[in-house]
Amino acid sequence: MEEDQIDKAVLAYLKKKGYRAAELAFQDEQSKVRTVSGNQSTTSSSPIDPTIANQIYFYSRSDNSPGRYKEGFSKLRSWVHSSLDQYKNELLRILYPVFVHSYLELVAKGHSQEARAFFQSFREDHEAIHMRDLQKLEGVLAPQHLEECELARTFRENKIDIKMCQYSFELLLQYLHNTDSMLMLGIVNAHINLQVVPGQPSQLFEEEEAVTLTGKAQDAMELINQKEIRWGVLEDSLEEKLEKELAAEAEKAEAEGKEADAEENKKRAAEGGKPGGTGKKVKKEKTGGGGNKGTKAETTAVAVITRVKPDLPLPVMSEELERQALDDLRNRARLGSSALPSVSFYTFINTHNSLNCVSISADGSLVVGGFSDSSLKVWDMTKIGEVAAPSENGTAGNGTPIKSPGENITPVTAVDNNKTSYTLFKGHAGPVYAASFSPDGEFMLSASGDHTVRLWSLKLNANICCYKGHNYPVWDVQYCPVGHYFASASHDRTARVWSMERMHPLRIMAGHLSDVDCVQWHVNCNYIATGSSDKTVRLWDVQTGECMRIFTGHRGMVLSLAMSPDGRYMASGDEDGAIMMWDLGSGRCVMPLMGHTGCVWTLAFSGEGSLLASGAADSTVRLWDVNASAKFSRSEDKAGAVKRLRLLKTLPTKSTPVYSLRFSRRNLLLAAGAFSPPSSS
Amino acid sequence: MSVVGKDSIQTIAQSIGISNLSDDVAAALAPDVEYRMREIMQEAIKCMRHSKRSVLTTDDVNSALSLRNVEPLYGFASGDPLRYRRALGHADLYYIEDREMDFKEIIDVPFPKAPLDTSVVAHWLAVEGVQPAIPENAPIEPTTVPSGAKKADGQAAARKEEESSVDVKPPVKHVLSRELQLYFEKITEHIVSGSNPGLVRDCLVSLSTDSGLHPLVPYFTQFIAEEVARSLDNFPLLFSLMRVVQSLLLNPHIHIEPYLHQLMPSVITCLVAKRIGGKAFENHWELRDFTASIVAFICKRFGHAYENLQQRVTRTLVHAFLDPKRAMTQHYGAVTGLSVLGLRVVQLLILPNIPPYLQLLAPELSIETQPNEMKRYEAWKVYGALQIAAGKWMYNNLKSQLPEFFSAPIKPSMKAGSKALTTFQESQASVNGISSPLATSPSRKRVAAPDVGNQLPKKKFAVDAAGAGVSSSLASTITESVEGESADLPGRAAEQEADGSKGRLLIRKNNPLSDAWKEDADLGGLFSSVEIVLGSNPVHDFGKVALHPRQSSMRLSGATLSDFREWGGSWGSVPFVFVLLTEIALDLDENHEKFNGPAELWIVAAHKVWER
Repeated sequence: MEEDQIDKAVLAYLKKKGYRAAELAFQDEQSKVRTVSGNQSTTSSSPIDPTIANQIYFYSRSDNSPGRYKEGFSKLRSWVHSSLDQYKNELLRILYPVFVHSYLELVAKGHSQEARAFFQSFREDHEAIHMRDLQKLEGVLAPQHLEECELARTFRENKIDIKMCQYSFELLLQYLHNTDSMLMLGIVNAHINLQVVPGQPSQLFEEEEAVTLTGKAQDAMELINQKEIRWGVLEDSLEEKLEKELAAEAEKAEAEGKEADAEENKKRAAEGGKPGGTGKKVKKEKTGGGGNKGTKAETTAVAVITRVKPDLPLPVMSEELERQALDDLRNRARLGSSALPSVSFYTFINTHNSLNCVSISADGSLVVGGFSDSSLKVWDMTKIGEVAAPSENGTAGNGTPIKSPGENITPVTAVDNNKTSYTLFKGHAGPVYAASFSPDGEFMLSASGDHTVRLWSLKLNANICCYKGHNYPVWDVQYCPVGHYFASASHDRTARVWSMERMHPLRIMAGHLSDVDCVQWHVNCNYIATGSSDKTVRLWDVQTGECMRIFTGHRGMVLSLAMSPDGRYMASGDEDGAIMMWDLGSGRCVMPLMGHTGCVWTLAFSGEGSLLASGAADSTVRLWDVNASAKFSRSEDKAGAVKRLRLLKTLPTKSTPVYSLRFSRRNLLLAAGAFSPPSSS
Repeated sequence: MSVVGKDSIQTIAQSIGISNLSDDVAAALAPDVEYRMREIMQEAIKCMRHSKRSVLTTDDVNSALSLRNVEPLYGFASGDPLRYRRALGHADLYYIEDREMDFKEIIDVPFPKAPLDTSVVAHWLAVEGVQPAIPENAPIEPTTVPSGAKKADGQAAARKEEESSVDVKPPVKHVLSRELQLYFEKITEHIVSGSNPGLVRDCLVSLSTDSGLHPLVPYFTQFIAEEVARSLDNFPLLFSLMRVVQSLLLNPHIHIEPYLHQLMPSVITCLVAKRIGGKAFENHWELRDFTASIVAFICKRFGHAYENLQQRVTRTLVHAFLDPKRAMTQHYGAVTGLSVLGLRVVQLLILPNIPPYLQLLAPELSIETQPNEMKRYEAWKVYGALQIAAGKWMYNNLKSQLPEFFSAPIKPSMKAGSKALTTFQESQASVNGISSPLATSPSRKRVAAPDVGNQLPKKKFAVDAAGAGVSSSLASTITESVEGESADLPGRAAEQEADGSKGRLLIRKNNPLSDAWKEDADLGGLFSSVEIVLGSNPVHDFGKVALHPRQSSMRLSGATLSDFREWGGSWGSVPFVFVLLTEIALDLDENHEKFNGPAELWIVAAHKVWER
């Protein structure tokens, strides 16, 4: 160790700290020593403890040059890139967190120029996956921004979990120690939670798992995800009632036809395990009605599903409605990979870019549009259908009605043009971001930028109630599948559960690290799922308000959610066009569905859950085969290969982004969107 | 380093009145300003996402500002693109153009058109997974069948296909959906049976309005071609078929051009067929007229796309017209077809051929030479068609030369009834005087005119032999005077005088016309020849007609049918007058509803005389 260097380091230290007197004294003494040593060349200076010298030396280097971060990081980067292929993928994962934290530390120490330079030079590496984060972090240049920027704060307050195998871990540590990269080591220690996984490094290169912060330690998260979820459908649900009814009918039929083929029936009964199933089979033989075939096959599939009791007191459905619903279910078109649904598309024209959301009632008769001018407009499609049915084809896609040549049509459309064909609801004081119809079609809820949710009666055409509670714009609202309850999601990072009769929320679900963008009820009403700008989807227990699952994997804000009718799967779509299928039980992603090129605004499962429909900003409706994906996921574990879920059909619209999708109870897919001609820009 | 530079901060500071902002302060502010801006933009993007848009608007920025409890920026909500101007003397300094507006200016501006109200329309995006080809849906891009198309040219492609083991579907052979098949069957059934006129009408309306019929077009053209060929003796069916053609042409969603070549033969057949319908009483003339209108429509609509379309049609028709061996019915069809193709066709192809044709026609017209009444009737029909063609052309020339007589001034004058005379006289005068821009082919006229002069006086329908003589000599003078323009005015005067007392009136009125007349003097030849051919007399009788209404305040009270006959003076001239009258009457009709009654009367009268 050179003494001169130590002296210099000490001098620099004193200078920096502003110890003027000490500095002078030091210099003075130094010159004295020099002269002395010059005279007595042989005398050796007092021996210095090497470790102390080392520390002084290190301090001077680490503290003085912000360039050290860049140097250290680029060394680490090139080392990772030149490492063995087998371990490279695992090691690559640490680069992003190290990069972010190096940058944030530079900012924290006030070297904003150097921070920016550092950021710019390595930005490209991460743009592919973390573009949105980078955009957010890029502006952070001053220490006080670190406190304000929610992303920077979550980065600094939380550890990132990275899994790697034993050998990779050792390689990394060895490297960090050998090259004296104390800075990098420090960052890894402070901000990364390296989890050593026994066994070989995972061969499959899984899309470089997106690093998503959840605000919870890995253990805690695992604990959450291990909570038991009863994802079955409700007891006493319509499907079950239908099943019972069919069984009863079947028994009757069986009794009638007993003499004729009693023998055969017995044989069948022996074959079929469950008595219900036998009855149904017989029934199928007997009636063979067109509508019943579909339901029969469904009910056998449903039979496997567990039934759960509701945690909430649920409203009772009126008998008439129930009969109607049962009738619909009985006549439900059976869909599958070979039987695709019919899609009826409601196009909003002349919206002037002001349409924010669309919602369709359960029977497809009512369509509501929420506009940025705070208004809601409800169209009764049954009435429009009467008037517009003949002129339907006379309207060109470009939004201007063509005068139809037939003379008997023109006056009708003229009348239609003169008076407004919709009901206008005014009351909000901000853009309407979401609307939802109650299952019986009597009420409607709307969420707005004025921080409120409003309840409207469609019979009275009036506002009934205004629910205040959120402190920021409410992004989404949704009725519970049985009505009465509803959930809302807001910019204030909470989701809230309400009941229609109370002014204040029943539950507040807090935990998301950013805006809650969408909310979705589970079919059994015991849970709600929320999608957020923090790239996670969470499942909450409505009764306790606890977080039950955290699903990570999205790379952008989650914009849409859908629950499969059997309650087992959930689909979520994000702003990049990715759709993820989740298994609620295991909390794992079943299948990523790629195909959309724009924000996925809406998702919908078909009545029996065999199809998933998605609508996006790229002006397409896509239909996905859910059954195939579920099968793939099982085989995936063995095969070890990620197979994409089957895209059954892409239905392009005429420059109409798809805002809303809904399967009617008879499995007609209803879609809606605003026609936006491409020339608008 | 940062996006917002120190200089920008200082510029902004200056703009709000802080002139002495130190560098340090600016440097410290710059990163913070940048951060705030980014923050606002991120919030704005969030708002944009929730408004389900992919274009950021000023509204989004304002929403983001209000999320942060910042006063929104006013004045940017108009949605108009912001216009930036470069500041003078600075290379990279821009400002937003903010014009001073005068309130008065804004108030005085008429209201802009109210934006269309939002509405919802429904359509089928897919029916059982298949997208119907309707205009509401995005056009289906042709599915690429890479090797399927190559299959035909050999084994190599097939082998390649096997190697790649990609299951490529063979090229689909134009699959018709079940619904379309049913539709086609129903429509053709109703058309052929024709038992229920209401249903047939519904079918036609459906054909002319429904979208998504395009796949059926080849089948319909095939159907029409077959049926026309098979049932030339079935008049109602032919009529229905032509209506189907018309409906298909009218349908805005059908792209019929590729099938025109299949349709045209059938249409032309219906126009110039020798015999249509099994029975004599069936009005096949009507079908020919209707078909002619279809031909005209086709030529008008697709003429620009297929340059030789009209050429071919006219060639066919002219052949039919000029072939003396053809039947009169065929001639009639050809003349009607040509006459609807436009005035230019009439001018170039019919008018020059009238004189020679009349030689052919004349024996057929007279009862002595043609004892068969049916044949004679047919000949008269052809003769009438010729007159209609010539009359239309003439009327239009009048109209284009002297538009003021046919549009605006007519209304007040009609109302008052006082000026009617002048108007009519002037138009009358123009009938006499104006001729066509046919100078392009004076030689042809020269050939035509002497012919007429020689032949016509002998004919029955050229009653006023003397007048004809004068006119024909005039015709020759005028054709001669093509070289010397100035010669025409005296010639004109001579004609007028020769015409007698009625003409005198016209001469006086002639002055305003002289300019127009002068220009067209060189074209006089044709007009006079036409006049001669069709009889010179009617023109003067027409003057009588024009005089008469004046006395009765433009009512036709005096102008009874018998009067018309009287004025008409001769067989041939009456229709000619009435074509003119009808055209004028129709014009009145368009301009002034009050004259509906008289106009109709005139037309009725015209028809009556016609039928005689």
